[in-house]
Amino acid sequence: MDVEKLREILAALQGTDVTRLDWTNGQERLTLRMGHPPAPVTALHAVPAAAAAPAALPTPPQVTPLATAAAAPAAAAARDDSFTVNSPFVGTFYRSASPDNPPFVEVGQVVKKGQVLCIVEAMKLMNEIEAEQPGRLLEALIQNGSPVEYGEPLFRFEPV
Amino acid sequence: MFHKILIANRAEIALRIIRAARELGIETVAVHSTADANSLHVKFADESLCIGPPPSKESYLNIPAILSAAEVSGADAIHPGYGFLSENAEFAEMVQHAGLGWIGPRPEMIRMMGNKIRAKEAMKEAGLPQLPGSEGVVGDERELVRLAEKVGFPVILKAAAGGGGRGMKIVREKEQLAQMYRTASAEALAAFGNGDMYVERYVERPRHIEIQIVADEHGDVVHFGERECSVQRRHQKMLEESPSPALNEKLRERMGRVAVEAMKKVRYNNLGTIEFLLDERGDFFFMEMNTRIQVEHPVTESVTGIDLLKEQIRLAAGEELGRTQKSIALRGHAIELRINAEDPVSFAPSPGLITAYHAPGGLGVRVDSVAHEQYRVLPFYDSMVAKMIVTADSRPAAIMRARRALQEYVVEGIKTNIPFHKRLLQFEPFVQGRYDTRTVERLLAESAPPAGG
Repeated sequence: MDVEKLREILAALQGTDVTRLDWTNGQERLTLRMGHPPAPVTALHAVPAAAAAPAALPTPPQVTPLATAAAAPAAAAARDDSFTVNSPFVGTFYRSASPDNPPFVEVGQVVKKGQVLCIVEAMKLMNEIEAEQPGRLLEALIQNGSPVEYGEPLFRFEPV
Repeated sequence: MFHKILIANRAEIALRIIRAARELGIETVAVHSTADANSLHVKFADESLCIGPPPSKESYLNIPAILSAAEVSGADAIHPGYGFLSENAEFAEMVQHAGLGWIGPRPEMIRMMGNKIRAKEAMKEAGLPQLPGSEGVVGDERELVRLAEKVGFPVILKAAAGGGGRGMKIVREKEQLAQMYRTASAEALAAFGNGDMYVERYVERPRHIEIQIVADEHGDVVHFGERECSVQRRHQKMLEESPSPALNEKLRERMGRVAVEAMKKVRYNNLGTIEFLLDERGDFFFMEMNTRIQVEHPVTESVTGIDLLKEQIRLAAGEELGRTQKSIALRGHAIELRINAEDPVSFAPSPGLITAYHAPGGLGVRVDSVAHEQYRVLPFYDSMVAKMIVTADSRPAAIMRARRALQEYVVEGIKTNIPFHKRLLQFEPFVQGRYDTRTVERLLAESAPPAGG
């Protein structure tokens, strides 16, 4: 692949909804991440945030402890003092409140303690995950609408 | 048939379920705690999801996490294994309400058998024999004498407010009855503030015999013979075998028949095990029922040649039993030994890293386990490391095979009860098949363990 080709690809992606591109051709591999992802288009489970809780179910905790654990996949841009926010339970990860809304937090954005970062849906309950400490978002590690495990890193932040 | 089964359990039984599902062409989803991330049940499943931290309460007993895992993985059924949530009727209900298949009996069956008093009442009504005794508290001495004669000596007097072996008196002769009743009642009054007493048949040498029930969703029921589980220490089973040396064809047929009839009456479905107490006269009494697959199911598989897990899954999916009682026969003899991470003398748990491991093999030897070299036995869960099942043509041949296999079993880095099993397999009452639920006590009392354990 030459520079010209790369330019063409970048130009083609401008103004689209694409936030990430993985491209392989024989030995050649290319990964692109676009800096300002627009609102996610699809959600696996389009359930309103106010969905009623089944009475018998205990409500999972709303807030996750920040960044005490878990080695995250190495991110190129990560500084040594970067930290991750991990999923407090198994569920489905959403970056915005609904498919029509922008993400709660964009790469480069500084978040305050208590600010909502994402939603992890478990058992039809939309659980808002809040920041437990301030930071600047370096990377969103999970694609919108993907399943996440307990303890799985969701975001990488750097302290501010 | 199901397409993808989520296994709400861990370790050897999770792996056992994966094996059955794979042979049926069904995909599997393992769930696990952070501590079990490298367990074989996670590695051998088609998919896996971490559902919580090490404590069971937050992972393997975490109902929202398990149901959420089923949803995100697209599983269409849940197998609960044994222990954990397997006999939790609320969980079974929630699984069904979520539109998933529940691989086990209906929640109402679990609920009925989960309450000991209700289970006894229901099974009495369904025709299972009960241990003879007073239905309630004994009114006075005259009533006591009448009851005791009906029940037959020896009898045991039990304080209504007692428990844990306190407030009990064994009466062997009618002449002692009145005197011992007065003493026992006075003692109970002093100890518990209540002198009320029950009377029951006292079984000197009780044997624990259980019948494996297999039922479909359409009312058809058969039994797969018995397992003898009398080798116990503090109500924990250590060794199980099938067939039982205490049963003959006639008794086996009778126990199986009344068990199947009772199950038909309550319209039991899927797999279950009815536990009976067998006394020295050959009378048997209903104790309780387990509404799940049992730890010791492999001995039944070995003598019937039928995969009980596959059977359980296909019956839960609604398939017909398609077996007659006549088609079920017990061939040869099988013995299962539970290999636990525990001190062979004190029986204290011995979790830790297994530094060397070699499981026995050869004809007629099966080991169900997730252990291997560098496997860590975790302090959060059960201490059972493996189940070793030997099968041979006869009971003596099976005992020889079990001794031979134990010689090959190497587990280093942790303590195990293998030395205990070696002694048990040489203990004359066991070798002769003349043992009961108190035999382990006698073995431990009379023989000093070999040096070095």
